[in-house]
Amino acid sequence: MKSPRTTALRGVAVVLALAVVSLFSASPSSATEYAEIEGSGSTWAYGIIAPWIAQVQAAYGMQITFNQSGSSQGRKDFANGVTDFGDSDIPYQGVDPTTGQTDASQRPYAYAPVVAGGTAFTYHVTVAGHLVTNLRLSGQTITKIFTNKITNWNDPEITQENGGHALPSETIKPVVRSDGSGATAQFTLWMDKQYPSLWRPFNGHKAGLTSIYPRQGSQIAVAQDAGVMNTIKGAGGEGEIGYTEYSYPLQAHYPVVYVENRAGYYVQPTQYNVAVALTQASIVGCSKGGSCSPNGVPANSYLTQNLDRVYTYGDARTYPLSSYSYMVIPTSKTDQRMTVPKRQTLADFLSYSLCTGQGLAGNYGYSPLPLNLVKAAFGQIEKLGPDAQGGAVKGVSIKNPSANLASCNNPTFVKGNLSANHLAQIAPQPLACQKATSQPCGDGTVPPGTNGNDGDNHGDNNGQTGTANNGSNGDSTTSDGTTPPGGSSPTTGDGTTAAAGTSADGTTTAAISPTATVLGAQSRSDSSIWGWTAVVELLAIVLLPGLYVAWLHRRRGAR
Amino acid sequence: MTGRTVRTGRLLALVAVLSFACAVIVALPGQSATAAGCSTSYGGTTKGDSWSATEALQRSFYDSAGPTATHNCFRLTVDKHTDLQDHERITVNWAGAHVTGGRSLNPYGESGLPQEYPVVLMECRGVDPKDYPSGHLPRGAEAVSPQTCWTNTYFQRTSSADPGHGIWEQDAASHDDTDHIQGLTGAVPGTCNVNSQFDYLITPFLAANGKSYAGCSSQAMPPEATVSSVSIPNEVYAFTNTNGAGTFPFEVRTALENRSLGCSSTVPCTLEVIPVDGIDCDNPDATAACNETGALPPGQVNTGQAPQDAVAPAFWASASNWDRRVPVPLGFSQPPSVCTVAKAGQPVPFYGSELLDQAALQWIPAYCLNKSRFNWQDNVMPDDAAFGLMQGGSAAAAEVSARGAGDTGIGYAPTAATGWAIAFDIDKPGNAGQQLSIKLDPLLLAKLLTESYPGSTAVAANHPGFSDNPLSLNLDPDFYRLNPGLDLTHWSEAAATLLATSTTSTVMTELTSYIAADPKAMAFLDGKPEHDGPYTMRVNPAYRHIKLPVDSWPQLDTWQFKAAPNSCLKAQGSSMPPYMPLVANPTTSMQLVAQALLYNWPNVGTGCTGTGSKSDPYQLGRVAPQGVGNRFMLGVVTLGDAERYGLTTARLQASPGHFVGADAAGIKAALSLAKPTSGQRPFDLTQTAIRTSKTAYPGSMVVYTAAKTYGLPAGTAGDVAQFIRVSTTEGQVPGRGNGQLAAGYVPIVSSGVTKALYDQAQHVATAVGAQKAPPAPPQPPTQASSPASPSNDVPPATTPSDAPTAPEPSTDNAPPPEKSSVTDAPVLRTAAVSSQTSAGLLIALLGTGVLASLGALAGRTALWRKGLRWLPRRP
Repeated sequence: MKSPRTTALRGVAVVLALAVVSLFSASPSSATEYAEIEGSGSTWAYGIIAPWIAQVQAAYGMQITFNQSGSSQGRKDFANGVTDFGDSDIPYQGVDPTTGQTDASQRPYAYAPVVAGGTAFTYHVTVAGHLVTNLRLSGQTITKIFTNKITNWNDPEITQENGGHALPSETIKPVVRSDGSGATAQFTLWMDKQYPSLWRPFNGHKAGLTSIYPRQGSQIAVAQDAGVMNTIKGAGGEGEIGYTEYSYPLQAHYPVVYVENRAGYYVQPTQYNVAVALTQASIVGCSKGGSCSPNGVPANSYLTQNLDRVYTYGDARTYPLSSYSYMVIPTSKTDQRMTVPKRQTLADFLSYSLCTGQGLAGNYGYSPLPLNLVKAAFGQIEKLGPDAQGGAVKGVSIKNPSANLASCNNPTFVKGNLSANHLAQIAPQPLACQKATSQPCGDGTVPPGTNGNDGDNHGDNNGQTGTANNGSNGDSTTSDGTTPPGGSSPTTGDGTTAAAGTSADGTTTAAISPTATVLGAQSRSDSSIWGWTAVVELLAIVLLPGLYVAWLHRRRGAR
Repeated sequence: MTGRTVRTGRLLALVAVLSFACAVIVALPGQSATAAGCSTSYGGTTKGDSWSATEALQRSFYDSAGPTATHNCFRLTVDKHTDLQDHERITVNWAGAHVTGGRSLNPYGESGLPQEYPVVLMECRGVDPKDYPSGHLPRGAEAVSPQTCWTNTYFQRTSSADPGHGIWEQDAASHDDTDHIQGLTGAVPGTCNVNSQFDYLITPFLAANGKSYAGCSSQAMPPEATVSSVSIPNEVYAFTNTNGAGTFPFEVRTALENRSLGCSSTVPCTLEVIPVDGIDCDNPDATAACNETGALPPGQVNTGQAPQDAVAPAFWASASNWDRRVPVPLGFSQPPSVCTVAKAGQPVPFYGSELLDQAALQWIPAYCLNKSRFNWQDNVMPDDAAFGLMQGGSAAAAEVSARGAGDTGIGYAPTAATGWAIAFDIDKPGNAGQQLSIKLDPLLLAKLLTESYPGSTAVAANHPGFSDNPLSLNLDPDFYRLNPGLDLTHWSEAAATLLATSTTSTVMTELTSYIAADPKAMAFLDGKPEHDGPYTMRVNPAYRHIKLPVDSWPQLDTWQFKAAPNSCLKAQGSSMPPYMPLVANPTTSMQLVAQALLYNWPNVGTGCTGTGSKSDPYQLGRVAPQGVGNRFMLGVVTLGDAERYGLTTARLQASPGHFVGADAAGIKAALSLAKPTSGQRPFDLTQTAIRTSKTAYPGSMVVYTAAKTYGLPAGTAGDVAQFIRVSTTEGQVPGRGNGQLAAGYVPIVSSGVTKALYDQAQHVATAVGAQKAPPAPPQPPTQASSPASPSNDVPPATTPSDAPTAPEPSTDNAPPPEKSSVTDAPVLRTAAVSSQTSAGLLIALLGTGVLASLGALAGRTALWRKGLRWLPRRP
């Protein structure tokens, strides 16, 4: 689709014209000059990095390529000077304690936290043609599963955690990552800290985390979060369970385990539950009050996370496997790869990600960063320009962090308290049926017909008690007293209600509940599910309008 | 530009060409005295933005009989050379070159060096004196030189040899200069590892900012020079076929990607095409290195031998080679003005279809830069999830291609006419260049998606039902009858699969509807064996009787190797993952599919690295990129991405025997089959209708902006209405500017086949802007025909099919139906539009519908009696 004008410019005339243009044209426009930058790393974080890159390309003309090669490769690429930035879920380890692989960077760098999320456990278990969607597992049971101590879905410990409902006898096939992965590192670190007596014997009696899972027995190893998701979701995935960032099962409409927290509630990694958990993260270089400073902290540990208290936080809304992912950015004034336009691009990309970009986090299965970390991350961005190691790099324009924060469209912002996280404040309490002592929400683990307690529902928030009213949304939970009172103290649900919803956002926000999109009935291999679904839908379609009209009639009659 | 100036420009061009041709003939008598009919000329015009040139090549050297010379008439054409964007591909064609010996599988960057007589394509900053009459540049213009030509590594800029033995030191064109270090003037920087044992030819790189990089070591290269990065180097060493012709899609780089090279709308650059024709040699010893004429087999792939220096591309900067360059002047488009991060206001988020991506790239700046408009934000998300966000209020609007669930009060404004394509990277056999067009039909797509090609002999021998299937697509008679002349001897896993997305997508719904509408494909899927030539092809048993369409392709094959084919799987013992899903390995977005094709990098996940030691364990992962010359991979991409990245796309069968390309004509022909359904709903464009057409492109799709026509806050409603109006007016003007319509989209305008779409968009814009109160509760008769649930103001977050309840209702003994004719109608309709996944179950639905209507009566009676206690409480 060439315009006539361009078609007319041909041959040598073009050369002449170009020369003339170059003689008389004004200097380049005042717009910020960008250059293409390249990064690699975390697939755990890729689910949010991808939309960010799309945004900044469209709106601001930044060209960014990101190769989701896993955190380990991301750190390696950065250290080898192959990329302009990396993204990693864990810091450089020096050496991986399990594999002994070198993991360090001579290239000067800094960590900038960019997003929070939950490492979710997604699984594929069908009972009587239904995909189970309300599975509950404690941390210990998860660890036993991934260390091959619990190997069958009908294990008494799993049964006991799921209200006494036994799953069928079926071998558990844990799916782990084959590539060097930050998700593996976070998961194994959590097992090492919480269940060392289970993890360490499995790990060759070595303590600590590893980026490459020591696959054994019936465990299956595949590459990338997307690969884990594909494997589990596939028809061959029956009996499998694996770990990915929450965004992957969310996008794939696949079930996610409710993980038990210290308060005895089984919860999913919604943006709220992750936000609540990470209020307990100790960040190196940040005070308890939330202010962060690199003073006196080695550059290679500043802002790294210690999650010990996250794992054990007593708030009922805590998702224990919550963590931050980090950009690794170059800090040397003389960094060979970095030009001024590249520095500007990386700085502006990060500025976008830390503010406006955080607004996308919830919808894509992540949780936004609290403002103190946003502010600290801006301090790191300064090292691309004014605060570069070895002296300021001229020409890189980075706005004052405080000025940025004022217009930072970050959903965690609480006026007057940088360390507070608005999402943690408004996070809804879990439902009574999420408490360990209650029957699980919904009856997805129970073969239909054996338990008349709940009529339907697969652990999402659409169902209502004992009806087939799937056209309506789970707003009923606010009226039937099942939601524990507010505040951070865990409440004791009375356990008597049969409410099935886990209305994660309650009534506090218009935002859609992330759990709502984790659907059960996605097993397309089993058409009987669809048949029944169709029946239910038809019933609803046929019944509800009539009921509605009838109700209207009755109301009119009552007037 | 007026007609007069156009004519003047043409005259000028003509004069320039003629006078320059004369000048060249006068200035370079040695080159013009060649084969008859070959006179050197640059800038010959053909059609449109294309450009052509002729260069008479002569190499003078000695053979055993004494002085001799070869003559070649090198003719070059490029399809475009002005108004270029970053990463845009130029198709370069040539004829009359020396045939290449020992082709390199990967022609990009340093890995393309081991070849004899390749054609070097390099992007160089500045204009070339060769393109000007008498060689005088315009005042102020920078002249091209080897030092302004980009290479990704220093190996391509620095050569060393025993003293006096460098081929550049024997080049007659540079008078056998034997200085210790040539090319690099002035002091040798410390970063150069030069010593007195060797002589060097070093070509420094002069960056756009004036800084000079010595180019003698990796430390002495500009920052953009990287190895092992994902993006491919743009300099290539392309091969010439045995007939002297060759072609290559050359990808340009602008200052955005390569600041040091610095090509932009204000800094002209040149594509230097250097046919390596041999070093001129004046050494009478016929065995001297500079008299060598190559040893690698012409037309064949290099199996690891080093090329002879006299005909190797590493010495592109040596005078003999450089002097034979053909300069193609390059002009670049203005970069779009864009928003600034700091100034952008609170964004108004839209979510939805990836099909809109490339359009959105150009539209977004037209919002954030215009103070009278809102800050539009477009986020990619599956249609159903986006629709849920829109209904839940966290998205102002959804960009979808089909109806969402419970959509009463939702208007659908046609926003973009575009679609999907099957893109491919396929090389002709014998490394004879890239295949630019293929034909595909639903049957072949069905075979690819069902993983019915084994991909390897190991799988074929072990996987149930595969023994008589062709190993990969290229070996399937159905394929090679449609596409003759392609590789019939090799097979690969990448050629056995179609890279698609794993997430739900209306593109997958359409693609599988396309298959479902084809009786032959469906018969195959239902298990009918296909006897053809040596094969009896059967569908992969895991997919037999699959019901289509589906909105995401399920991975149904659970088969595993008993004896693993590689160490990574072997290490997993008996717990290997199912194998065929690793071959299919779908991505999370179509953009990643486009990227895989752009980098010739299949997403097949059966690759194995590592040594199995503790410190280097086996890692199962993505296979290596394919070498140019051996490519064969296919993927599902958006038309926008295909156009933007210059991907080659397949012609798809419309009516049997008629294959239609993914172009504007094909999309328009499809749109002419689209029927409006109501004033506000998506148009009805079925694959069944497309199958009746000889000209409709089956991948055509319309993206709609879906938004509430009541219940939106006034501000948001105004924004959405504005978006619909702007995107269907100025947003439909084709072009590369801000706010204009990118390639890959057919303009929706108020006339022609798109008129109805345009009219509906305006109608919906008005309705969304007005936000009139919801219509009164519908009366029973109308209600029966409405597919929406009563609680449509708070609809389910995602799909309506999330509550498969206990199956009791259908087993009820219900009273006989009285109004079945009334209730059956909406049943059919609902299933057709809102539940693509279960559309295959229509017949079952009809049956259950009868049962359900029985239940309806029963339920109604029961509830009337109970006083309607179960009804949701609503204001």
